[in-house]
Amino acid sequence: MVGWEVPIGAAIAFSFGAIGTGWAQSRIGAAGAGAIAEKPETAGTIIILEAIPETLVILGFVVASMIILMVK
Amino acid sequence: MDWGYINARIRGMKSRLLDHRTLDNLILQPDMDSLMAELEKTAYREDLIEAKGKYTGVTAVEYALRNNFVRTFRKVLNFSKEKEARLFISIFLHRWDVQNIKTILRGKNIHVTNEEIVDCLVPVGELDEAALTELVRQPDVKAVIDLLATWDIRWARPLTTAFPEFARSGDLGMLECALDRFYYNDALLAVSGKGANNAKIRQVLSLEVDVVNIKTILRMVRDRIAVEDAQKFLLEGGQALDQKMIARVLVLPTIAEAAAMLSTTWYPTMHPTRYRFLATIPEDVLRAQKISVIEKQLERHLVREGVDSFLGDPLSVASLIGYFWAKYNEITNIRIISRCKTADFPVENLREELIYV
Repeated sequence: MVGWEVPIGAAIAFSFGAIGTGWAQSRIGAAGAGAIAEKPETAGTIIILEAIPETLVILGFVVASMIILMVK
Repeated sequence: MDWGYINARIRGMKSRLLDHRTLDNLILQPDMDSLMAELEKTAYREDLIEAKGKYTGVTAVEYALRNNFVRTFRKVLNFSKEKEARLFISIFLHRWDVQNIKTILRGKNIHVTNEEIVDCLVPVGELDEAALTELVRQPDVKAVIDLLATWDIRWARPLTTAFPEFARSGDLGMLECALDRFYYNDALLAVSGKGANNAKIRQVLSLEVDVVNIKTILRMVRDRIAVEDAQKFLLEGGQALDQKMIARVLVLPTIAEAAAMLSTTWYPTMHPTRYRFLATIPEDVLRAQKISVIEKQLERHLVREGVDSFLGDPLSVASLIGYFWAKYNEITNIRIISRCKTADFPVENLREELIYV
């Protein structure tokens, strides 16, 4: 029997990852916009940098999935 | 406060500043035409093309540099939307208001033509080109001050207060000193709050005050000005020099001794290494009382300290301060090169005149 703690645990794992990603992307996005405004040729690099924090939310999603699927 | 955006733009703009190799290349150009051709390969291209349509030679370079300077800092002000950033930028841009007013007052005082005065103005501060042109149209010093007062512009206050003294003595230094004092007091008051950004700007302004005061003190030692009169010309807000130290230096008989005392580290409020370089100034320069050489060293020190701000916290006002000084220095260097090219100044000596950062 799965209790209330499993979905709550999964939610925490996912939400903290998402919040961290959002915070990091906002900072990188602002700085990236500034960099592209001055040097448009850096756009490719900035998009990659902007995507890097996505790993956090993906990790959170994986952990949340593992909690839901593996905790019985 | 989104310093990330501002910092990224500033760093992008910094990457377009001329490096040592480009400056060396400019120095090696044989004449004005080739210097302008080289400059057209840099970020000054647009301004130079516009300037060449109106002027020739060194005048065109000066015009282009001035336009570039104004355009650059207006751009910085425009992309800095936050109130705090705009305040900090305004503090640095206001110094050109002070400089422009001083230029107009000097021009009016010695009856220079309006065109000549306008050519020397840099309309990058609060007073735009139209306002400055109107000020230049005034017939004399008093009319300029009256117009500033009518417009209710802050710089009218110190000028109005100091005007009776100027009228009595005819010494324009009274008005200029009042303006400087008001600028630094006003700026230091604006950043008197807590926080790393306020502290950084206070530090930069205090350093400037110290450098201006040291220059003034050395001149006063040379001209044997009495300690009591000295206070009229000194600025408040410095960190390295207090009243006791100033009084001790002012009674010294020679510049050499004054420089030696200012370079020592024993004084408790003195930064341990800050003015040590004064001790390295050659003896013959000090004996000949060549204050310009010492002033150049102090200017170098100020620019280096300002540009070193780039090494500070990237999410603060530090990179902005660094850029201001780096751009100012670059324009000064190009002006020196272009002036020296017209005067056939030897390349070896020209390098010594520049400040590399």
